[in-house]
Amino acid sequence: MTDKRSEPGIILLVEDEPTDARLLMRAFQRAGVQNPVRHLPRGDTALAYLRGLPPWDNRSEYPLPILMILDLKLPGMTGLELLCWLRQQRQLRRIPVLIFTSEKDESYMGPAYDAGANSYLLKPADSAEIERVVDLIKNYWLALNEAPLVVGPAT
Amino acid sequence: MGPLAEVILLVEDEPSDAHLLQRAFQKAQVPARIVRVADGDEAMAYLTGAAPWNRKEHPLPGIIMLDIKLPRRSGFEVLEWLRDQDVLRRIPVVMLSSSPLPHDVNRAYDLGANSYLTKPQNPGEFVQLACAFRDYWLCANVDPVV
Repeated sequence: MTDKRSEPGIILLVEDEPTDARLLMRAFQRAGVQNPVRHLPRGDTALAYLRGLPPWDNRSEYPLPILMILDLKLPGMTGLELLCWLRQQRQLRRIPVLIFTSEKDESYMGPAYDAGANSYLLKPADSAEIERVVDLIKNYWLALNEAPLVVGPAT
Repeated sequence: MGPLAEVILLVEDEPSDAHLLQRAFQKAQVPARIVRVADGDEAMAYLTGAAPWNRKEHPLPGIIMLDIKLPRRSGFEVLEWLRDQDVLRRIPVVMLSSSPLPHDVNRAYDLGANSYLTKPQNPGEFVQLACAFRDYWLCANVDPVV
């Protein structure tokens, strides 16, 4: 099992629906997840964060995430476009990405797996179910799974 | 929540580890059939439906648990081959290994592993792993259509 460092890595949540984002953030808090969750509402903003562009150019303040929760329908840049870009980056490509979407259709799911999504989760209908999904994410991705080493570009 | 996979393909050469995992899945009441093969070549034979694995009786797995250290073809080689296949490439793969060496972990993700788990130390932990695996991959995750 991965050793627990004093500073738990951050989770990057890319989600444009304010209600979904709020419910997720609250569920992470309720689940007692120690990892800070950073929420960004746009695909292009998430890309800028991952590249460490201003105002996110200070990596100690804005560290690279150890896990990403990514919606597909996003303004600026779609989740799929962001994922495709991420998997081509030498230093960032290993960050585990969980797709979190209402899109059940194979035309969304297939390309997401092809682009290198680690997992594909459907947005639950109510807040109790969202809490359940967050518990599963905590128990699996934050406790059991071995995270890759992600080293960002020097800034 | 996603549909339960009918078959889980377990690629594991160590009989004791395979036995512990199969027992743990049973205890976790995983409804899927666990098909265990003992090396990479056999895994590829199963996945391509080569004899004796005809597709009718041996459907494609919803997920693969893949040991890294295997005789002949390694787990990495199987993973690399799988991600290059037209139809099979989307099947989720969870790597299994005895020790989480950063080099191995990174290589697994680079080759397209969905997740990487370290084999537990005792039977009780195997059951915990099987429960977490069941809850996440068989209930929450939505498998691609393969």
